[in-house]
Amino acid sequence: MIRAPLVKALGALGSPTHQIASRAVRTSAVVAQTPAKAPEKIEVFVDDIPVKVLPGTTVLQAAAEIGVEIPRFCYHERLAIAGNCRMCLVEVEKSPKPVAACAMPVMKGWRIKTNSDLTRKAREGVMEFLLMNHPLDCPICDQGGECDLQDQAMAFGSDRSRFTDINYTGKRAVEDKDIGPLVKTVMTRCIHCTRCVRFASEVAGVDDLGTTGRGNDMQIGTYVEKLFLTELSGNVIDLCPVGALTNKPYSFVARPWEIRKVSSIDVLDAVGSNIVVSTRTNEVLRILPRENDDVNEEWLADKSRFACDGLKRQRLVAPMVRMPNGELQAVEWEGALIAVAKALKNAGGQIAGVAGQLADVEAMVALKDLVNRLGGENLVTEQDFIKGSGIDVRSSYLLNSSIAGLATTDAVLLVGTNPRYEAPLVNTRLRKAFMHNEMQLASIGPNIDLSYEHKNLGADASLIKDVCSGSHEFSKVLEGAKKPAIIIGADLLARPDGAAIHATISEYCQKLKKADWNPFNVLHNSASQVGAFDVGYQPGLQRMLQNQPKVLFLLNADSGKLTRDQLPKDCFVVYIGSHGDNGASIADAVLPGAAYTEKQGIYVNTEGRAQQTLPGVSPPGMAREDWKILRALSEIVGKPLAYDTLDELRSRLDDIAPHLTRLGELVPASNSEASPQTTPNKSISGGAIDVKLKELRDYFMTDAISRASPTMAKCISAVNKQQRQNEEAKQSAAI
Amino acid sequence: MAKFLGINRLGRLFQAIREAGGLKQAYLKLYRNDDLKTGKLIGIDKYGNKYYENPYYFYGRNRWVEFTPHVNMDYDASQIPAEWYGWMHYKTDLPPIRDGCRPKHKWIADHSENLSGTKEAYAPYTTTTPKIEAWNPNKK
Repeated sequence: MIRAPLVKALGALGSPTHQIASRAVRTSAVVAQTPAKAPEKIEVFVDDIPVKVLPGTTVLQAAAEIGVEIPRFCYHERLAIAGNCRMCLVEVEKSPKPVAACAMPVMKGWRIKTNSDLTRKAREGVMEFLLMNHPLDCPICDQGGECDLQDQAMAFGSDRSRFTDINYTGKRAVEDKDIGPLVKTVMTRCIHCTRCVRFASEVAGVDDLGTTGRGNDMQIGTYVEKLFLTELSGNVIDLCPVGALTNKPYSFVARPWEIRKVSSIDVLDAVGSNIVVSTRTNEVLRILPRENDDVNEEWLADKSRFACDGLKRQRLVAPMVRMPNGELQAVEWEGALIAVAKALKNAGGQIAGVAGQLADVEAMVALKDLVNRLGGENLVTEQDFIKGSGIDVRSSYLLNSSIAGLATTDAVLLVGTNPRYEAPLVNTRLRKAFMHNEMQLASIGPNIDLSYEHKNLGADASLIKDVCSGSHEFSKVLEGAKKPAIIIGADLLARPDGAAIHATISEYCQKLKKADWNPFNVLHNSASQVGAFDVGYQPGLQRMLQNQPKVLFLLNADSGKLTRDQLPKDCFVVYIGSHGDNGASIADAVLPGAAYTEKQGIYVNTEGRAQQTLPGVSPPGMAREDWKILRALSEIVGKPLAYDTLDELRSRLDDIAPHLTRLGELVPASNSEASPQTTPNKSISGGAIDVKLKELRDYFMTDAISRASPTMAKCISAVNKQQRQNEEAKQSAAI
Repeated sequence: MAKFLGINRLGRLFQAIREAGGLKQAYLKLYRNDDLKTGKLIGIDKYGNKYYENPYYFYGRNRWVEFTPHVNMDYDASQIPAEWYGWMHYKTDLPPIRDGCRPKHKWIADHSENLSGTKEAYAPYTTTTPKIEAWNPNKK
């Protein structure tokens, strides 16, 4: 089965160059699978420094090992080798011509000269040709200051140009293309490195971009006029070495030397992608991915990247209290806190808390401590999960195979989940396993497009029983696999028979388990969920509603699952959060909190990795960090919490669950305890399994921040427009 | 000799004190206006400002105004209305009460003083959008 691009498929046939090509795209995950007997290393000399490398290493990689960086445009570590920019030409002794370092494997005893006269002349020549067809519009180009072409022209280019337009014919110019509301194109600047094309077909799995024409007439584009709509489209902006593809919402906003960069964590899905928040004058301007091979590699999903303008709209900037006429009115902090404290005193311990999608662990612990001190026990997460004792064991709610581990799987079953839109960067890992690992994937649930081939077994829940009993044909695939994985969607477990599904699958996973491999995975879609379970929140709103709370705290709970009608009439609802959304509109008191770019907060991602956000800007207006609000409230109620600073709160976290403060580390749940303690008497009741996010348009708005984002709204209308056009085209073709 | 000692000016001083209405009033006037002069009252405008003239003083100081008492120390040259402005600045020697040719229209706006530094001072509205758009709970 040929899954990889042709170059890599040929690699299997044994041509040495092609093996290199395919090796380079495979990442550490695949390298780990190489047979135990390592081939003998060969010695080459880079600028007369000896270096020992594995056979098949390219010249560029060998040079990188001793820290010599060879200039390049088209080469990218995570993409297939194209070798078309020729910028990486280097001289090799006894070779008649300079060789392209990115595509040429080293041979024994080669002497590579990365700084010889011939190398420099070759680079200068390539650079001169590139600049001849590149506009000199750096002053108005958004890439200016972070442009590879600019930097390398300074470092390796000639000091003068021989380009003279004596006939006034003008430079080569290409018409711009409209490829969507996120990526702006200035195609004249394109240097044809084809990184975007390779990214789209290899990583995103959308063969929308391509090249047309040859030589001077070559163009990158979509061939027919259409939008480049995928959940990963923003990454082509980072990949583009010049300003041909730039960030449309960020266009003409700032220069890279004006902005402050803060390393943080994304919280709009449960992957916990590492990000860099670029800010200027207390304003978040853009979000870029930060490299972390264990989590997001160097990609970032579009929602995480472009929803940052939602941080500036629909914000809560002042505390509010509902007046007798039923309207929320802005008040001072003192008045709001006293109003809440009064309600708390009258509640007599009937207090409940709901943690929503964007709640950080600190705030959840502070809320839990406060509610417990006032005699309440009722703390739940907004996102539902299985009923019963399912969350007592940590491994029963984690993505145990780990995100990076999913790229090494060879058989995967998806149950009621669509990773493409619930966690796009988990889907890229699965796609990688599919491409490079011959992974077989089947899904139970609606037939969805995962951007790669998979087998849909059907939507009926009884199929889970079939597969887990071993009678289904896919069971044999799973049982025969070296690293099988079953991924359950978090929404699926909210079903009444969720506990039965969970127990059945986790029992089957006991059978599939390997020595250092746990195939049982739950894919969450809210960033707070794992952290909430870790600190002792219970899943589901039902449990909270049964107890008829008199005071209800909503901590970032905005999904709209909770309505005023479900609550008792005299219930006093307190909303703590950053955005005016579903939660704030049903609240009696609104206490403005900080969004994830404004606070230092711990979030635990779906695989159980605790990571922290760092503040890039200060909270707007009178808003404060969430845990500080709860600390202040506890003082007014007269039951002060035992921590005054973030460090003290962190040491409290350390007491509750030590892994929460080991930031960035993956603390796996111990493998042995993953046993179903309670065999539920209920059985899987059958019925169709559905997923919420089926199409791209469902993906863009899933939380309070992305719902407030104008860019996300534009994305949805672009998707709808594209679909209308497709339908019209189909109709006219039918006529 | 008397002139050399300035004794002849003493008479003016006593006259000024008399016109002011006693020693205390003279002191208050001196305190408020930093000056104590004698002169002929030319007219009073509708705000209560009194305009004086005395050609004994040299040109430039021979016309002056005593602002209406209720403004107290908060007087300001911009409180002089437009019709008296010309007389005060020697654009004309005819004060408005004696000048019949002054236009009198219904639509002429009332005089207003310079409001800089007060709450009513003019401030241009900002043309930049606020960085943070706050949630309005009552908008549906």
